[in-house]
Amino acid sequence: MDLKRVLDGIFALTLHSTKKLLFGKKAIITILVAVFVAAVMGYAGSQSHDALDDGTNLMDTLILFFFMPVMAMIFGSALIRDEIDDKSITHVATAPLDRAFSYLGYYLPLVIAVAVSMVAISSVGVFAFFGQHGFGSEALQIYVEFLALVIIGSFVYSSLFLAIGVMFNKPVMVGLFYAFIWEGYIGSLPGAIQNASVKHYLRSLGSEWVDFGDISRWDQASSVWGSTALLLGLTVFLLVLGAYLFREKELA
Amino acid sequence: MTVQDSGPKPIIHAEALSKWYGEVIGLNNFALRVTPGITGIVGPNGSGKSTFFKLVLGLIKPNAGSITVLGQRPWKNPDLHSSIGFCPDYESLPADSTGREYLTLIGKLHMMHGTALSKRIQETVRLVDMGKALDRKTEGYSKGMKQRMKIAGALLHDPELLILDEPLSGTDPLVRKDLMDLIKRLHKEHGHDIIVSSHVLFEIERMTHNVALVYMGRAVASGDISEIRNLMDRHPHNIVIEGERITALAKLLLDQDYAVSVSFNDNKNSVTVQVSRPDDFFNGLPSLIDRGQCSVSKMYSLDDNLEAVFKYLVGR
Repeated sequence: MDLKRVLDGIFALTLHSTKKLLFGKKAIITILVAVFVAAVMGYAGSQSHDALDDGTNLMDTLILFFFMPVMAMIFGSALIRDEIDDKSITHVATAPLDRAFSYLGYYLPLVIAVAVSMVAISSVGVFAFFGQHGFGSEALQIYVEFLALVIIGSFVYSSLFLAIGVMFNKPVMVGLFYAFIWEGYIGSLPGAIQNASVKHYLRSLGSEWVDFGDISRWDQASSVWGSTALLLGLTVFLLVLGAYLFREKELA
Repeated sequence: MTVQDSGPKPIIHAEALSKWYGEVIGLNNFALRVTPGITGIVGPNGSGKSTFFKLVLGLIKPNAGSITVLGQRPWKNPDLHSSIGFCPDYESLPADSTGREYLTLIGKLHMMHGTALSKRIQETVRLVDMGKALDRKTEGYSKGMKQRMKIAGALLHDPELLILDEPLSGTDPLVRKDLMDLIKRLHKEHGHDIIVSSHVLFEIERMTHNVALVYMGRAVASGDISEIRNLMDRHPHNIVIEGERITALAKLLLDQDYAVSVSFNDNKNSVTVQVSRPDDFFNGLPSLIDRGQCSVSKMYSLDDNLEAVFKYLVGR
């Protein structure tokens, strides 16, 4: 295996796909979501008397637990399937690069695109809300902590939705089911069943870091190290599985 | 004609190759030996040409049989792609990209960088005459320009073997001529071995004498195009003759040993004659017209096309 060729190939694909994701048609969705978040959090901010708790709860429910999986689903679930269907995957499939590594060339730009979008959406929300109450050091701390959570979430959800895109012929349907039914509903049920969602472990990490809002008082959290290990393990497992399936896939 | 086992070392060697998609057969016991030079793969739509190319490129794996390309098995062998350039028959240029961006991506995937890559892009687009459109978005290209840009993408890394799947389809006659000249030049002046497919034998004939006929998932014949032509001449022809006093001509035709059958069409001025030796028929027809005192206003073959030849070759 020629390591330089592998790294060059991954870098070339990352550059190409990042540009396509960030400046393509899906950028409009990011802008619309950001406008929506600004409107909701701006209005909530104008009505809030306990800015730190209310702002944290909004970041928690609106951004981390709703838009995080939804945006990853929008960007990731059809990324590879779309290229297979419109056959623009030909230049990747006929490149002298093992397809397992080409898969990384899709994963990395997906992480970048999801993270950039979520950071932008989070930033718009934070400034719309806390901007009305004076952006102090505690608000800055909440902002940074949630940015860390959405970046970690970008790595995990991207690996999940990209793998779905290789596993299924109708990945958007599966992605919608996962984002809305599984993460959105099952992940919010009381009791141990919610441990089967990514958001549970992201929230567990958040409960350790964030000092305000419901998340700081959350009593169902898994341990920080356990959550970290599980999220890392899940990401690696999904990456390996997706890369293996992509390598074995026939591109008829 | 059968697959030849002698001669120069093959660049592609397929033996008993089969590929099916569920209940649909793409290739069936396909055998072909492609030698260096330009080779034409001719067959009607859906005959298995594209399936064969996908197997050559390792995009799909065979269900049975074996295939080697440049001495290597293509499935899960990305290193082989360094030696192959592929121009597909479908739209594959990424939308929202310029020609330069597309070629830069291809170049980087083939470990080309910096000034060497820029220089190679310039050389390649000059070769396919796309220099002026290099910085335009590919979605604004005409069909002919897209074909040229796809060929440029296939050529960029200077591969030993070029695979061009229906490069002439959908192009106007002038572009077609340019592309045929380009393909010949790529072999003659630049040394690429080329496999080019088409469903029009005439187009392939203008580029090479070395052809393989593919029909219903099988290579039904391969070799020099003159041998294929002989096969075409030997296969029974159905010829329609229209004019005046055709009944007299029909009577005379029935006496000829090359005439298999003679039947009248909707009226007595039109007859269909099936002949076993078309050459003898065409040579003898003027004297028969003279003897029958008839006049022929129109004459055409019902099956002077590849489909009929393919059917004849597979015995259907």
